[in-house]
Amino acid sequence: MATVRLLDAEQAPLLARPFYAKGDPGPIVASLAQVPELLETAMPFISTALGPSAISWRDKELVIVRTSAVLECSYCVATHTAVALDAGLSHQEVRALRGEEDIASAFRDPRELALLAWVGELAGGRGSVPAAVRDGLHAHWEDHEVVELTVVVGATMLLNRLATGLELPVSAGTERRLAAEGLR
Amino acid sequence: MSAVAEAVAEGKLPGRVWMYADYHCNLACTYCLTESAPKAPRRVIGRERMLEIAGEAAELGFTDLGVTGGEPFLLRWLPEALAEMSERLPVLVLTNGTLFTRRRLAELAPLVQRDVAMQISLDRPDPDDNDEMRGPENFRKVVDAVPKLVDKGIKVRIATTVESIEDAELDRLCALHRELGVPDEDHIVRPIVRRGRALDHDLGVVAHQVDVPAELTVTVDGAFWSPFGPTVHDGVVDTDLLITRTTRPLSTAANAMLRLTGELPEGDDVALNIR
Repeated sequence: MATVRLLDAEQAPLLARPFYAKGDPGPIVASLAQVPELLETAMPFISTALGPSAISWRDKELVIVRTSAVLECSYCVATHTAVALDAGLSHQEVRALRGEEDIASAFRDPRELALLAWVGELAGGRGSVPAAVRDGLHAHWEDHEVVELTVVVGATMLLNRLATGLELPVSAGTERRLAAEGLR
Repeated sequence: MSAVAEAVAEGKLPGRVWMYADYHCNLACTYCLTESAPKAPRRVIGRERMLEIAGEAAELGFTDLGVTGGEPFLLRWLPEALAEMSERLPVLVLTNGTLFTRRRLAELAPLVQRDVAMQISLDRPDPDDNDEMRGPENFRKVVDAVPKLVDKGIKVRIATTVESIEDAELDRLCALHRELGVPDEDHIVRPIVRRGRALDHDLGVVAHQVDVPAELTVTVDGAFWSPFGPTVHDGVVDTDLLITRTTRPLSTAANAMLRLTGELPEGDDVALNIR
């Protein structure tokens, strides 16, 4: 049960209505709809940051699930576990991203390992990212990719705190999917 | 010319900005849109903020101000605030007209010779019928107050809000308001809108966004599409006609309003006579 009223389609404010056009928009939209001017600015940004782009779907989900696990956001971890499976990640990889298995045993690609080390520091650390971790990232990723991945981490952290702060509920569909996959 | 002034001049946007002065009321009418009552949460917007809105509205190019509630005259500072607001734009204030005792009438002195009109609710020509929905003594107090207000030089309009009214009854009501000093052009008849307490009593017409006038309305909860927007049901403010939570600066809400009016198909606001 969320700590704020999640607005349904009937109570959707005028600027929020387009977000309800395809049915239940989910609790992030339904909570942000309380402040419509924020919703209509935030959602295009979030969609651009987390949606299809020059960064592959798999890489984005690595970042999103790992960031959410570091920030211990149960809503985002659950929701993006399902998305990560859709993006082709294995059960073992998802478990490692969630902190339930060793990352080094689930991932072998140096590029991905560099990314995950950097995500761990950026999302979980304080102050600057250690030079070795930063240089490791730059050895495998172009500047524009680093910029975008940084924004993905930031946008995910924003959603992590939103979902945690407002105690947003995981959908019944996602709960069923995770139960069926043995990943609850 | 500002975008608002242009839209108002072209008839694309009504020129009036409304503000909800408060949400509490000495009455508890059965069709009240805002579930107002003596113990309802007050949600007072505040004198300084009302003056600020008046100034911003004038600068943006709006042409008129409206003040509603609740019962605005429960706020003792209201007459002076209205007088000050009228220095910026003409003001129409909605009131149930039942608070104007001799002392309260004297407190209206700042409104004399100002561009401030009062719109007072009077639904039926007979006390019992009128008071059935509005509460005891309502008719007597209104009929007593209106001529005194007119005598003071305050412009009074009468608003009749009904499910339906027979011609003969309407004729008697019109004869009454003329007798009280209010001419026909200052009498409006409008339907009950099925929101707020009217929903619980199964009263009124269903009105959607396209059916109510697009008059920017500011409350403590944000900016709404129309004064019929910030209604209350089961103690919760409706959000279906919310535009923005941001009301300062007023241009944030006004610009969103302009955007929305540009996207709007023709509605039933004229056909339903919701004014």
